[in-house]
Amino acid sequence: MEATFLLTLLITFLASFIGYELISKIPQTLHTPLMSGSNAISGITLIAAILIYPEVGESQLLKIIVLIAIAFATLNIVGGFSVTGRILEMFKKND
Amino acid sequence: MIEIILLVSSVLFIFALKLFGRPSTAHRANTFAMLAMALAVFSAFNFDFSKYDSAFYITIVVSGLLGVLISKRVQMTQMPELVGLFNGFGGGASGAIAYVELSNNALVMSDFFVAIFSMVIGVFTFSGSIIAVLKLRGKLNNVNTTIANIFSAFLPPLILLPAIWDDMEILSLEYFMLLSLIAGIIRVAVIGGADMPVVIAFLNSLSGIAAMSAGFIVNSIILIVAGALVGASGIILTLLMCAAMNRTLLDVLKGGFGGTAINNEYEKDPISTSPEDVAIQLSYAESVVIVPGYGMAVAQAQAAVKELTNTLKDKNIEVKFAIHPVAGRMPGHMNVLLAEVDIDYEDMFTLEDINSEFSSTDVVIVLGANDVINPLARTDEDSPIYGMPILDVDLAKQVIVIKRSMSPGYAGIANPLFINDNTKMLFADAKEGLENIIKSFELV
Repeated sequence: MEATFLLTLLITFLASFIGYELISKIPQTLHTPLMSGSNAISGITLIAAILIYPEVGESQLLKIIVLIAIAFATLNIVGGFSVTGRILEMFKKND
Repeated sequence: MIEIILLVSSVLFIFALKLFGRPSTAHRANTFAMLAMALAVFSAFNFDFSKYDSAFYITIVVSGLLGVLISKRVQMTQMPELVGLFNGFGGGASGAIAYVELSNNALVMSDFFVAIFSMVIGVFTFSGSIIAVLKLRGKLNNVNTTIANIFSAFLPPLILLPAIWDDMEILSLEYFMLLSLIAGIIRVAVIGGADMPVVIAFLNSLSGIAAMSAGFIVNSIILIVAGALVGASGIILTLLMCAAMNRTLLDVLKGGFGGTAINNEYEKDPISTSPEDVAIQLSYAESVVIVPGYGMAVAQAQAAVKELTNTLKDKNIEVKFAIHPVAGRMPGHMNVLLAEVDIDYEDMFTLEDINSEFSSTDVVIVLGANDVINPLARTDEDSPIYGMPILDVDLAKQVIVIKRSMSPGYAGIANPLFINDNTKMLFADAKEGLENIIKSFELV
């Protein structure tokens, strides 16, 4: 258990480091699409909702809360990518 | 099989972030990220779709359609609100998941604390983002910082309060949730409009961190990886925005900056000008730099900017755009608005790239920007904006400021640029002013 936890921490650190390195040189022109795109990615918490939904058990209240989480995360993902697409469309026509 | 799908998904997410870094590849980045997301979500089902009832599938489909609908209907000028809103949803989802896990399972100690963390950050992101959206829509004015200070002072005892109760179980969970909710509301409510680029970037980072922590609770590596990527990229943007104002993140979050006039006295009257004179002035210029600010977004003047740019370029006048990192209400806001009207991103320059060129520029047109061009940032040590990197437009040969009145900007201080000998004020709304200049060109 401990080893897995440490391994997970290592992965977390590496992913943060990669994220930091990849983004630090991004030009100002792309700040909005980057933010909008990474915003959509943060909706990935939908996975957690999908994983726990079948295990919620009898409680109707908790089930509803997970459904709200699913709705929020889906809105975040679909809406986020759709908006990012719209923003990038405007940069594309400049090429 | 699932492991391979997740591996591909992680790699795609990383490549997507890489591709977001260049204008020519950025649109592919979005496709990569969408693909990565689809794979990650698909893998979460573990090929067993029968475990889920109709309520589950209906929720996904309806909210997905709603997301598309909202994103297609919103205008480009409302982009900051929309990004803020979606961000709040993401944070709220993570907070809700953490709550359910906390109240439903006996978590091991490490997971318990991560779950509390995820719930607090997620709920904070949710309420903070909603307040940010209301502020961006102009539905909420600055709240006095006293309330926030009182709340912060009482926060430690408020957090410790459940320890006094006999029962540390479910009730204290809701209590912590409520505290996070209030903290998000109060924290963002005291921060003024022009600090929104920092707030939006910071909340974006938090939603990634909340997702990452949710990944720890449900043991999902892909969730941890993607959440960490978002958290890190959000932090970079946050720090960039703070550096562009020469302020620390703590100082911005403390709130109470700007919004009220501190000193708006001028020792002499500015020189005002007319659209006709501006048109004549511009037609003799060889190089023009346009400095857009939030005023351009408010007046929806992008199309008029494009028209003026075309008119000038037809006369072989060089036109460039100087964009301050915190101009507008989110990182890169001005760049998006200008891209919307087909202005080439090659013509958009950052502060570092253009500052050395102002002294050889014939005419600078300031369009709805104020504090980011205030020379006091260089000279007046007592000024609240002292040390902030500014666009040195006062060094240009001539400056035209299109502005409705002499009212101060966000920092609430007078801008001596307006009474410089080489500055002329065109008192007008950004859009109307530009349109009148364009009309006058036809007569020149």
